[in-house]
Amino acid sequence: MTRGQTLSKHPPVTTLPLWRKSMRDSRLGLLGWTLGHVGTVLLYLPFYPSIGSNANMQAFFTDFPSEVVTIFGLDQLGSGAAYTQATYFGLVAFLLMAIAAISWGAAAIAGDEESGQLELTMAHGVGRAQVVRERALALVTKVAVVVVLASLAVWLLNDYAELELTATNVVAVSVALVGLSVTVGMAALAAGAVSGRRTVATTVGAGVAVMGYVLDAVSQTAHLPWLASFSPYHWAFGASPIVNGFDGAGLSLLAAAATVFLVVAVAGFVRRDVGTG
Amino acid sequence: MTNISTPPLETHALSKRFGAVTALSSLDLALRRGEVFGLIGPNGAGKTTTMRLLLDLIRPSGGTVTLLGTDPRSGGAALRRRVGYLPGELRLEGRITARTALEQFARISGPVAGGTIERLAERLGLELKRRVGQLSKGNKQKLGIIQAFMHQPDLLVLDEPTSGLDPLVQQEFLSLVTEASAAGQTVLLSSHVLSEVERAADRVAVLHEGRLVRLGTIGELRLDRHRRVRAVLHAPQEVVMQRLMGPATANLSVGASDAGTVVEGQTDDVDALVKALAGFELKDLVVLEPALEETILALYRQAGPHPASSPHARPAGGSTTTSSGKEAGS
Repeated sequence: MTRGQTLSKHPPVTTLPLWRKSMRDSRLGLLGWTLGHVGTVLLYLPFYPSIGSNANMQAFFTDFPSEVVTIFGLDQLGSGAAYTQATYFGLVAFLLMAIAAISWGAAAIAGDEESGQLELTMAHGVGRAQVVRERALALVTKVAVVVVLASLAVWLLNDYAELELTATNVVAVSVALVGLSVTVGMAALAAGAVSGRRTVATTVGAGVAVMGYVLDAVSQTAHLPWLASFSPYHWAFGASPIVNGFDGAGLSLLAAAATVFLVVAVAGFVRRDVGTG
Repeated sequence: MTNISTPPLETHALSKRFGAVTALSSLDLALRRGEVFGLIGPNGAGKTTTMRLLLDLIRPSGGTVTLLGTDPRSGGAALRRRVGYLPGELRLEGRITARTALEQFARISGPVAGGTIERLAERLGLELKRRVGQLSKGNKQKLGIIQAFMHQPDLLVLDEPTSGLDPLVQQEFLSLVTEASAAGQTVLLSSHVLSEVERAADRVAVLHEGRLVRLGTIGELRLDRHRRVRAVLHAPQEVVMQRLMGPATANLSVGASDAGTVVEGQTDDVDALVKALAGFELKDLVVLEPALEETILALYRQAGPHPASSPHARPAGGSTTTSSGKEAGS
């Protein structure tokens, strides 16, 4: 929606008021999610020296079904980077971030609308597209804050846990995680902006997350590599950024997908009735 | 800037359908600058739908809206900074204080002059430091009123504004409305209680089932004179029927009961009726302000099946046409 200048006898009082409010409202949630990540990091990473370089442990994993070994990367625990990816970034961090991003994305429009509070916000001096844009920006910011703090925890454990990660690769895998989580969260936001229903938003967001993970896993175990090209999870982690650094192609796909979801969200939201679902 | 002669609010053939349900049908309204305009009708009449259309929360199925010279959809955020809105079902975030809530609304409203929030809170008796979740319904409503008034908008759209307020606060609210009107702000307010609108509004539009039934001043519409009456007389039924003939008694029925002859129904001329009844020995007399629904149904029957097509053409004094059937209201 255009923010017409002809009528604006009153200029906007603050820049990004909805983004600010959204960030302020999420302070407690951000703290909680960050603590969850730091706890996970502390739970897994310090054990690398006793698992990764332990021949008995390696032998133990080889008895697992080969599919399980492949999906969870159990055959690659020999390096700190692979261990960190298999235990944290590729599994628990993805799971936690997907849940957080889906709940933020579903709450952004649909949750606020179902609670009845969006109506009064919309009746003030804000445009439809502005609401979607600022809340999408808040989603990206929140995801980035948690991932940055969690990655900092990983980096601080790097020496202690003998992970031998490089700073560049930690940044690369963190950016990939941000991109993946934002894509999943933006799918939820878009579904909520179009439908006005939180359950629809959550279902679509979870669908994108789960399908991404499943497609990536099936592509490996069934030896169907083309399947993975439809998986946001694969776009993020397929090229092993924690080992190989930034994957421009994968990040571009994630950015494109998130942008498409944002465009759908704006286009759907500016057209429809608010608060009648 | 809006030209002084442009109506601050104008609708033309405004309609809204939700699926198969027509919530609003071909509404024509034009408000004057500084006017207090009442939208009345029973629940489901289309009052809230009309207001939500004005705010661009929902989009018309047909017809046009012009607010302050602009289409609400193209006017967008800049236009809504000049409008104050109180929703009929006010939902607020509970965890923050009333002051924080109002400050957050101020950031997305037109500019709020310093001290306005405090002054309005003082007048309505709202404690700003209390958490919204702990406020009673009436106190939440005060918060809703403050956020609608605080940026001194050119147009106020208030859906059931006095709902939940005690009489003293209602009085203070009416003063706010009067002051706003005197300052050139235009006020559209809705209610399903006639006496509320009666005290505040210069003109009213009566809605029923999505249609404009009547439009005019309260006096013109004779809404205030409509009464429900029940009298028990100590006199034979034939005599009562004979002596109660006349326009004041056109909507009354006469019947017998153990207590005596019962006269029951509606009148819009209490004076003539009481004078006519005075000739009898009265055992009981009840005169009630009827529910708005009843008044409107009576109006609707009077106005005929297509009242919205010529609401302005009705004679100011209404008519005493008797109701010939119930089909119009069903």
